[in-house]
Amino acid sequence: MFIELEGVTKIYNQGQINEVVALRDIDLRIEAHTLNCLRGASGCGKSTLLSIIGCVIQPTSGRAAVAGLQPARMPDRFLTVHRRRCIGFIFQNFNILPALTVRENITLPLVPQGLNRRAMAERVDRLLQRFSISHRGNFPAGRISGGELQRVAIARALVNDPPLILADEPTAHLDSGLSREFMEYMAALKQAGKTIIITSHDPQVTEHPAVDRVIDMKDGRIDVS
Amino acid sequence: MFLNSWSIALLICGVLVLFLLGLAARSAVRVLLFWDPESDSNRQIRLENEIWLTSTLVEYGLGVQILSLAVFVLAADYFSQSIVGAMCATGSLLANDFGIPALMVKIGGVFLYGYWIVLHQLDIRSPKYPLVRLKYVYLLLLLPLVVLDLALETVYIAGLTPEIITSCCAVVFGDAAGGGTNLLSGLTHGMSLVLFYGSALLLLAAGAVLLAAPRPWLSLFFGGLWLGFFILALMTVTTVFSSYIYAMPYHKCPFCLLKPEYQYIGFAIYAALFGGAFMGTSVVVAEPLRRLEEMGAAVSGYRKKAVGVSLLLLILFTILSSYHYVRYLIVGGEG
Repeated sequence: MFIELEGVTKIYNQGQINEVVALRDIDLRIEAHTLNCLRGASGCGKSTLLSIIGCVIQPTSGRAAVAGLQPARMPDRFLTVHRRRCIGFIFQNFNILPALTVRENITLPLVPQGLNRRAMAERVDRLLQRFSISHRGNFPAGRISGGELQRVAIARALVNDPPLILADEPTAHLDSGLSREFMEYMAALKQAGKTIIITSHDPQVTEHPAVDRVIDMKDGRIDVS
Repeated sequence: MFLNSWSIALLICGVLVLFLLGLAARSAVRVLLFWDPESDSNRQIRLENEIWLTSTLVEYGLGVQILSLAVFVLAADYFSQSIVGAMCATGSLLANDFGIPALMVKIGGVFLYGYWIVLHQLDIRSPKYPLVRLKYVYLLLLLPLVVLDLALETVYIAGLTPEIITSCCAVVFGDAAGGGTNLLSGLTHGMSLVLFYGSALLLLAAGAVLLAAPRPWLSLFFGGLWLGFFILALMTVTTVFSSYIYAMPYHKCPFCLLKPEYQYIGFAIYAALFGGAFMGTSVVVAEPLRRLEEMGAAVSGYRKKAVGVSLLLLILFTILSSYHYVRYLIVGGEG
C-alpha cells in the first residue's frame, strides 16, 4: 500500500474557542500507480486531507504513512527532502510566480537539488516540449494564457520526477476544454506510473474514465453511504 | 558591585538562558514520562512538535552560554581598569574568591554544553529521534551547572568593589623565585616544550590513524589525549609562549594575549585550542552512540568530521602559539 491513513484526526486551533475539527478518524488506503479523486462539498476536509498526505500539515492524532514512513513526523531535514523528491503539488490557482519566466518557474524546484545548470536545462527542456510550451520558455509567466499556465504548473510539479502528484481543485478556474486537457495529462501520468490524488467536485474530473477511485467526503469523514 | 554594560549583558544572558532551560526542563520531564515514538496519539505528536522547538531554543541558549566565556573574560579585563593592582583579567578574577571558580565552571561549560549540542545534532540526523531521552536526561543534569554558572558569576560581580587591592599577572604567573606561582614550576621550559610538541605530534598521529582505520578504543584514546593536551597547552601558552608574544621574559599571562597591544592574537589562539579540544573530546561522547539503531552512519560521519576539524585546529593552534617563539629562535629578540 502506497498511502496508509489510520485514525487520522485534524483539529485546528485545538483547545481554543475557535477550535475546528476538519478531519475525524479517517482510515484510508491508496494503492500505488492509481488515479484517485477526493470529492465533497467545500469545507468537508478534502484539502486538509490532501495537505496531510503531502506532509504540509501534521495530523492532530493518527498515522499518516507514505511508503511505510511517516515523513511529517521526521526531523525537518528528512521532511524537506521527502517533499522535494516524492511529491509534486498542483495548486488551485497554480501559484506560478508571474515575474519569473516560464522556464525559471519550472526550474525552481530543481535548484535545491544541487544539479548543474546543464542538467537542469535539459530536464526543463524535455518538459517544455512534452507540454508543448517550448515557444513560451522565456516569456514572463504572468503574460501567458490560462491553459499554458496550467501546463506550466503540471511541468513544475513533475520536474523532480516525484512518484506522488497531489492536485487541489486544479480545474476550479478552467473552462471545460482545459479541464478535459488537464485530465488527459493526468491519465498519461498514471500510465507513466505516478500515483495521483485530486480533490475536486468537477464531474469532468471525477467521472473521467482514467479515475480508479472516487472517495467521497462529508463533514470531515469518508462518506461510505 | 560593578554594574556596567559587560556585567549587565552577562547577567541578563545568564538569567535568560536559565529561564529557557527551566522551560525546557518541563519538556524534559514530559519526555521522560510520556515519550513513545511508536504511538500516533495526540500527546505524542504534540510532544514531538514541542521538543523540536524546545531543542532548537536550548541549542541556541547553550550556544550563548558557551560564548559567555569570552564575554566573561573580556568583562574581567574591563573591570581591571577600576581595581587597584589589577592590570588585566588576572587581577580582576583574583579580586575575590569567586572569579576563578566562575571561570573554571565556564570553561567546563564550554565542553559540557557543547556536548549537548552534538547529541542534538546527531539526534536529528536520524528520522526517528533515537537520542531524545538521552539528551533530555543530560539537559536535566546540565541544569544545576547552569545555575552554578550564573550563581558564581553573580556573586563574583556583586563582590567586586574598587577598594579591593589585588595582584597583577606578572606576580601571579611569574617564576616561583620571584614570589609568584609558576603553573609548571616543576618543569623547565625545555621539558614543557618537549611535552607540548610531543603531545601535539602524538595527537596528530592518533588522529591520522583514527581517520584511516576507525576503532572505538582509539576514539577514546584520542579524546582523552585531547583533554590532556588542552590542559598542558593552556599551561604552556601561559608559562612559555606568552613571554615571547609579549617580548618580555617576566611577563607571563594567559589574558593579556587578548589585548589590542598584541593584535588580539589570544582570540585566535584560544579559539583554535578550545575548538580543537571540543571537537576532539566530543568523539568520546559520540562513539558509544554508534551501537544504537540507525545511528551508525551519523556517528561515523560525525567522528570523521570532528577528528578532521580537531586536527586542523591543532595545527593552527600550534602554529599561532609557537610563531613568536620560533621567530625568536630564528631572528633573535631584536627583530
